[in-house]
Amino acid sequence: MSHGRDFVNGLWNENPVFRLVLGMCPTLAVTNAGINGLAMGLATSFVLIFSEIIISLAKKIIPSKVRIPSYIIVIATFVTIADYVLKAFFPDIAEVLGLFIPLIVVNCLILGRSEAFASKQPVSNSIMDAFGMGLGFTWALTFLGIIREVIGMGTFFGLSIPFFTTWWKPWTIMVLPAGAFLTLGILLALMNHLTREK
Amino acid sequence: MKETPRLIIVLTAIAIISGLVLAFTYNVTIEKIQQNAELKKQQAIAEVLPGLESYELQQKGDLKYYQGYDANGLPIGVAVEANGGGFQGEIKMMIGFNTAEKKINSIMVLSHTETPGLGARITEDGFKSNYNNKPFGDYTVVKRPVNNDLEVEAIAGATISSAAVTTIVENTLKDLQTAFGGEL
Repeated sequence: MSHGRDFVNGLWNENPVFRLVLGMCPTLAVTNAGINGLAMGLATSFVLIFSEIIISLAKKIIPSKVRIPSYIIVIATFVTIADYVLKAFFPDIAEVLGLFIPLIVVNCLILGRSEAFASKQPVSNSIMDAFGMGLGFTWALTFLGIIREVIGMGTFFGLSIPFFTTWWKPWTIMVLPAGAFLTLGILLALMNHLTREK
Repeated sequence: MKETPRLIIVLTAIAIISGLVLAFTYNVTIEKIQQNAELKKQQAIAEVLPGLESYELQQKGDLKYYQGYDANGLPIGVAVEANGGGFQGEIKMMIGFNTAEKKINSIMVLSHTETPGLGARITEDGFKSNYNNKPFGDYTVVKRPVNNDLEVEAIAGATISSAAVTTIVENTLKDLQTAFGGEL
């Protein structure tokens, strides 16, 4: 497979959220505002990119019998780094995402890509795959976050929208957990409908 | 190499490298993380004690509190960090007391996990101002505009969160009065 195809793959054809339906826990939980979705997506991408690089580099050294614990240690290391860096330099975002940062360790997207892709492919392909999947996850989470924030709070990335915020009566349910299921369900249905017509 | 030792060696090596990397990250960031927490606390104390110039941590009985001083070094009140159960999780607050006039200065919510758009409005001035300059006493949460100093107007649709904040304020006030004996 070409590098370009590995990259684009995660953006649309195998989008982690809309196609593979992986990593649903953060997808549903933190997307109550655009900025939270974006931050969660970027933090996950960071972990995904470095984990895939290391795992792809070390794929010959790691015996297959201990591959899962090895992957988890590598992933957990990068998650902890992301956690500390966010707490130190972006305390506001770290507070909102809270427990969901440490939970990236068990995000099945990362372990899934490590096992299915990075452990079998060259480093350069793994990097492209990680960037594609990471960006695909990020745009999906940001998109969900924007929709829920606009309808649920009437704001866009915390800013009021001219001629909208003033008269829109926010649907609080959209920023509650139920809103996550509604938004994701409708988007998945829409996505399936669009691809079926082709 | 035999298989079993190889498994052990590889996994141990990965764990050691991971430990080293994390120790390095921790050392680089811990100072900044503690600074952030300290700064946040300072801002909260300054927020609930207007005119604050300096403060120090003191203890009376079981109660730890921040005694605030103005520019002339005169005591202007005390701030107490308090927490209690909210609608979904813990609510942490900083409460400023004007001990001389036996009034609550104001409150500040440090962290909470209340429902966004409903209970989360406990952080907004519209609700917090309920407690500004409130005389010490037993408070009642009401679902209408307040009639007297001892009433607190609940946020529409978030009575439990409003009552939770009021309970935390009352409990802290009782702790403070116990700690200061008959002075308050």
